[in-house]
Amino acid sequence: MRASIIVLGTTVILAAATAPRVVRQGPSPNAGATDSMRFVAHPDNIPPGFPSTDRPLALKNPYEGNAQALKTGAQLYVAYNCIDCHGADGSGAMGPSLADSRWHFGGTAAEVFESIYQGRPDGMPTWGGRITNDQIWMLVTYVRSLSAGKDVATENFAGATVERTGH
Amino acid sequence: MTRRLTIARFLIVAAVAACTPSSQTTARTDSTGTAKSTGAATSVAGTRIAAPRTTPAGEWQMPGGDYSSSRFSDLSQITAANAVNLRASWTFSTGVLRGHEGQPLVVNNTMYVVTPYPNVSYAIDLTQAGQPLKWKFRPENSQAATGQACCDVVNRGAAYADGKIFYNLLDGHTVAVDASTGKQLWRTKVADLTRGETMTMAPIVVKGKVLVGSSGGEMGVRGWLAAIDASTGKEVWRGYNTGSDRDMKVGPRFKAFYAQDNGKDLGLTSWPGDTWKQGGGAVWGWLSYDPELNLVYYGTSNPGPWNEGVRKGDNKWSCAIMARDADTGELRWAFQVTPHDMWDYDTVNENILVDLPLGGTTRKTLVHFDRNGFGYTIDRATGEVLVAQPFVQMNWSTGVDLKTGRPNVVPEKMTAEGKNVKDICPSLEGGKNQQPAAFSPRTGLFYVPTNNLCMDFEVRPVSYIPGTPYIGANAPEKKGPGGHGGEFIAWDATTGKKVWGIEEPFPVWGGALATAGGVVFYGTLDGWFKAVDASSGKELWKFKVGSGVVGNPISYLGPDGKQYIAVYSGIGGDMGLLIAGDVAANLPYDVRERGSTLPDLGRWTSWGGMLFVFSL
Repeated sequence: MRASIIVLGTTVILAAATAPRVVRQGPSPNAGATDSMRFVAHPDNIPPGFPSTDRPLALKNPYEGNAQALKTGAQLYVAYNCIDCHGADGSGAMGPSLADSRWHFGGTAAEVFESIYQGRPDGMPTWGGRITNDQIWMLVTYVRSLSAGKDVATENFAGATVERTGH
Repeated sequence: MTRRLTIARFLIVAAVAACTPSSQTTARTDSTGTAKSTGAATSVAGTRIAAPRTTPAGEWQMPGGDYSSSRFSDLSQITAANAVNLRASWTFSTGVLRGHEGQPLVVNNTMYVVTPYPNVSYAIDLTQAGQPLKWKFRPENSQAATGQACCDVVNRGAAYADGKIFYNLLDGHTVAVDASTGKQLWRTKVADLTRGETMTMAPIVVKGKVLVGSSGGEMGVRGWLAAIDASTGKEVWRGYNTGSDRDMKVGPRFKAFYAQDNGKDLGLTSWPGDTWKQGGGAVWGWLSYDPELNLVYYGTSNPGPWNEGVRKGDNKWSCAIMARDADTGELRWAFQVTPHDMWDYDTVNENILVDLPLGGTTRKTLVHFDRNGFGYTIDRATGEVLVAQPFVQMNWSTGVDLKTGRPNVVPEKMTAEGKNVKDICPSLEGGKNQQPAAFSPRTGLFYVPTNNLCMDFEVRPVSYIPGTPYIGANAPEKKGPGGHGGEFIAWDATTGKKVWGIEEPFPVWGGALATAGGVVFYGTLDGWFKAVDASSGKELWKFKVGSGVVGNPISYLGPDGKQYIAVYSGIGGDMGLLIAGDVAANLPYDVRERGSTLPDLGRWTSWGGMLFVFSL
């Protein structure tokens, strides 16, 4: 406990130079409170919707740049029926496109892992515990490979189109 | 864009002759402004809507207007002569940007609107200028359902009975709402979202029972039709579409017309192993009811998965028309339209109940325009196929054998694992999809919105994982021969012939409305709402609405005694979401590439959610 308080204090000092601080309200932290009730001073304003940067180190794709994992991920994408929601090559179908460089829940490897592992409230199933973390990382590797350079912010109705399956 | 009017020349004389009314029928308005039903207006000899409305002609109380699903209105103020003067009267934004299939209801000078997910409903006061709301109801509705719905988060409408509005929620509940207060009276879970069952269909209410079914033919569900007590919300009976005779409510009163369709436990024995348990046969389309025969009619969806190799056999009773006793749910007859479907040709399209002159007598028929491209005229008491002719361009079958009711399949168009079959017509969207046709007893004709699409079909392995799609095929689509995406046609169900057609650049995904004024209405994906002459197909008037039309027009009499036409505008459904590949502009995280099937549709429309109301 002592060590963590020291670390927190250091962060506050470093952040103070670049960002506004949270205005402390109510009683002073630690004053008479149990540990679980302790007010934790936050070094920065809490920005809405921005991904946290302090993910555990474990959320690092072990297969980044691994061609074999990419290939297996593509097979898993079919085997686990991802293809029928997100479309062939991630072109989008029932679920959002995975090929447009736009991400509802973040597009870093860690964020895509979390989306697959935890599921999402609008219908993305929870795969964590149902398939291995290794397989999820291979899916992450494949899914993240689909979108490079395919952001179609502008449609001019004269360009190429993709094949898409209806239901 | 070019639109050509195609008229079969040899038929035009017959059509015009048939359209000459033998007795003028108009809806009258009494002193209080309430329209009186004129009953069954029979203008073509031997032609009659099976169960004409018993409710006022100026109202629209159930999805298809009447139990026969005729979508015919007795109102006749708007005529072929004056339709050119139609104008927008008022509009209403539903606040939802998804596919607006279905139609509003009008009861007691109140309009009831149900939106796509989250399935908000509105009661709109038609008696006051500005059409203020009487109430707005926002049901509890699980967000997870939006990821389980195959083909957009649509809702095909509500039904009214006994002071209550009944409709289905995407997450598998049926609700009853007090029509005057908007208070939820009951909410019953009937579908299992965790198995991929969502609900998009419009119920009908028969003798105090609300009849409902689920979607999920692409999710490996096991289809059923259920009856819920309208006053208590308790389930009364449920008949499955696959499985044992007991589960299917097949008993001694069951008699299919064709020999091969009779036998013990066909819902089990026509499937390998336990595949019937996730074999589809969902009920996501339209229901009809014949009070005389006391039969409720519906169609079942495709079998699951699309990969036919894992489910060798007829796969009964997927892709079938079903007739059940409305009181007990007993299956009385069934007819499998496409045995062992391998093209995703669901049979959920509406069954229109009409008496027609056939072979010198008047037959009690059911007319059904199937995804497989055949227009069927069937004896609705027995299930005998009387007429089956293609109503769109097709190449997968050479015709229906009337001795067995089965289609003759072209071997080259049979799909299988390891094959990529090219150029199958119609595509999996069907010659017609959910967009309902209309019937006019004044012309004796059916007005049918159709698709002109073909597909390649490549089968791949598939695994069943509950709550995920169960498909196993890629089937990219393209416009069919001629280059038009669809056609709005007039059809003679006694001969199985097209009388006239209006080619449209895109599939006609909105439904039809026929009126006693001789005017037929429909909307298009590119956002035109049109009035055409019921006899000739001549375009009388059109209006560009805010978003593509996938909904179904209705007609009602306002408190001012005027005839109004109402329709949803709001592109979506399978066609808008999946095929066009467009997404709502307020989704910054989804900017997918356009689909190749209708690459230019996005030029003409964008997502929306508006009710448009027109009058003279």
